[in-house]
Amino acid sequence: MAQSDSDDGMDEFMDKFKTQRYKNAFCENNWEKEFDKVPMFMKTAPEEFKPQEYPELACLQAIVHDEDRPPEEQAKSLKDEGNAYFKEKNYQKAILSYTAGLKKNCGDQDLSAVLLTNRAASHFHLGNMRSALHDAAAAKKIKPDHLKALIRGAQCCVELRNFSEAIQWCDEGLKAHPTDKKLQEIRAAADKHKRAAERDARKAKVKGKKLQSEKEALLAAIKSRGIKLLQSGTPHQHGSDSDGEDERSSAAIAQLSLDGLSSQEVTGAQVFLDEQGSLHWPVLFLYPEHQQSDFISAFCENNCFTDHLAVMFSELPPWDTDRKYLPQNLQLYFEDEETETLYQVDPETSLLNTLQHQRFFIKAGSPSFIVLVNGSSFWKQFLSGKKIK
Amino acid sequence: MLSDSEATELLSFLTPSTRPDVKGRATEYILGLSGNRDGCRFLRSKPDLIVALFALISDPSIAIAKDCYHIIINLSADETLHQVLVTDIKIVPVLLKKLLDPEHMFSDQISTILSNLTRHQKTCKTVFKVLQEEVGLAQLVEVFCNECYNKNAKLHYLGALLSNLTQLPEARSYIMDKDRCVIQRLLPFTQYQASVVRRGGVIGTLHNCCFDHAHHDWLLSDNVDILPFLLLPLAGPEDLSEEENEGLPVDLQYLPEDKQREEDPDIRKMLLETLLLLTATKSGRKTLKEKNAYPILREFHRWEKDPHVTAACEKLVQVLIGDEPEEGMENLMEVEIPEDVEKKLKEADAKEEEELEKEQERRKQEEEEEERKKSSDAKLTDREQESGLIK
Repeated sequence: MAQSDSDDGMDEFMDKFKTQRYKNAFCENNWEKEFDKVPMFMKTAPEEFKPQEYPELACLQAIVHDEDRPPEEQAKSLKDEGNAYFKEKNYQKAILSYTAGLKKNCGDQDLSAVLLTNRAASHFHLGNMRSALHDAAAAKKIKPDHLKALIRGAQCCVELRNFSEAIQWCDEGLKAHPTDKKLQEIRAAADKHKRAAERDARKAKVKGKKLQSEKEALLAAIKSRGIKLLQSGTPHQHGSDSDGEDERSSAAIAQLSLDGLSSQEVTGAQVFLDEQGSLHWPVLFLYPEHQQSDFISAFCENNCFTDHLAVMFSELPPWDTDRKYLPQNLQLYFEDEETETLYQVDPETSLLNTLQHQRFFIKAGSPSFIVLVNGSSFWKQFLSGKKIK
Repeated sequence: MLSDSEATELLSFLTPSTRPDVKGRATEYILGLSGNRDGCRFLRSKPDLIVALFALISDPSIAIAKDCYHIIINLSADETLHQVLVTDIKIVPVLLKKLLDPEHMFSDQISTILSNLTRHQKTCKTVFKVLQEEVGLAQLVEVFCNECYNKNAKLHYLGALLSNLTQLPEARSYIMDKDRCVIQRLLPFTQYQASVVRRGGVIGTLHNCCFDHAHHDWLLSDNVDILPFLLLPLAGPEDLSEEENEGLPVDLQYLPEDKQREEDPDIRKMLLETLLLLTATKSGRKTLKEKNAYPILREFHRWEKDPHVTAACEKLVQVLIGDEPEEGMENLMEVEIPEDVEKKLKEADAKEEEELEKEQERRKQEEEEEERKKSSDAKLTDREQESGLIK
């Protein structure tokens, strides 16, 4: 009987369709856009949106975040929201949702543990290991046997390279879950890393020791030859008697670290001891006439200067415009800076003999020698007004 | 021994409500009794006394409780007492419960008792059954591996207990459970400097476990990685080249100059025997060869002085550098040995033992000679000094 009544206006409503066109229908060119606005068909939630544009979505969100709902429900919704963001790999937003959920303080321990663990996972994927660890620890405190928290905590420790702590987390976890494969896996990996790190420390120590003993052997070799090194930056004290000098020079050797030996030359060459026990020095030859220099990276102490000079000047250097730097014309000097005295060196002598000269101090680990052409005008100029020995 | 009436009187002194000084004297006296075999056998005939003593381990007086524990230790050292203690009086569940209490003062004594009770297979089986029912082996291992578990007790003897338990296949399969993390926790203790008992117990456990060659691949795999822990105590501060080092297992690389080898020769021998067990299968031999066990053993052989241990080392090295056995003989543990060959092997073993003994005797005599010479030299110089003084 009721069907024939049209009091509810249904018949009239239905009749309208027969005559009027449906407004606001989807049309060809905008139906996809419109579809995305319907919450049911949304693939992702829009970041920010105007309620007018998405009225249904605004409604739903208002329901979800309604402050009048009990805190547990709100917290649970926020957890679900966070999980959704997490699935989309939007970890920042996930963290915000979880944090909001935790703020509700709903008192449900299980839920809080899950929120913390999930937040820890989000931090983990963002690379915030410390925050992740902190959250995992908080979750563990609330629920000591919460497996996901235990696994996450262990993983964070591994990432932070704190392998002992990782093992501790695993052992705690294995107490409650003795057969869990993931925990066993992490434990085995952390143990392996730990032992590798211990090996690396041992290796570094052994290498350090080796380096140290090589250093000591080198310094001992230098010292035993009576060669004196100038500590870079040490101010010269003007000692008058020879005893004072000896003291000073042996003190310079005694307190010498390898830094005193490192050459300031660009090549970074350094004196070394070869297998036969001979020293090889980086040696600098200076040509003040032309503001030039030559560098021999490894001059064996047993070689004499003529050997090297012959090779160096077998072809005259380009800067020797006068073509006068022939090996037989060259004179060698070294300078004692303290007394501003030049000492002539016989090119036939060995480097070792020269270095053993009482007044020879090696500066910056690299002996240097001045080269002049005998009899040249520059030679005359250079040597006038200087003390020569 | 005591007469029946004397025993009854003694029993009356062992109630909790007795005056402490009387109680104390009684327990002291019984402690003395338990110190020798006859005393123990006597006590065996008076189980009421043992029951009373066992109750007194909870006595408020520490001295009395301690004495009672020591009495039980002595009794448990005698195998004929085991039936009474374990089956009749059922001391094991009570002891296990106290063992788990981190505050208990006498957990070391309990560990010793349990270790005594498990020495021989028969009682060991019973104890293991009770253990599994009450506590579970996993928990025992956890307690043992946690050095700070009980501040009043070191629990080193739990190592000996574990070692004894693993004479049973059921205990071994529990410790080597692939789905759990049990044996892995024991491994670091092969290097435990502070206690030879703990170390020996752990190595004994591993030694027993290696009798099950079905587990060898797993034991040698990364999941357990037993090999470095067996080799480390045998490795010394050798200065190996960088190349040699890089070929070793990680834990054996770049050992510091102050690295010490295992100081107990019996434990050294046990380690070598365990390694030998691991060479029973083809894959085990392969692993040991690949992981460069040989250089470690070579250096060890140079260092070792004890002839028994050296012999064990040589046996192992022979397998490592020898050729692979022929087809069908690859698993050395499963090879059928014909009777006459077995007899000959046994004779050869016996002869070897004899020679080792002689060697050891000879060394001992040499050492004593040295000592005598040293002291007589000293006497000589003393005399010289004296004569000097007189002059």
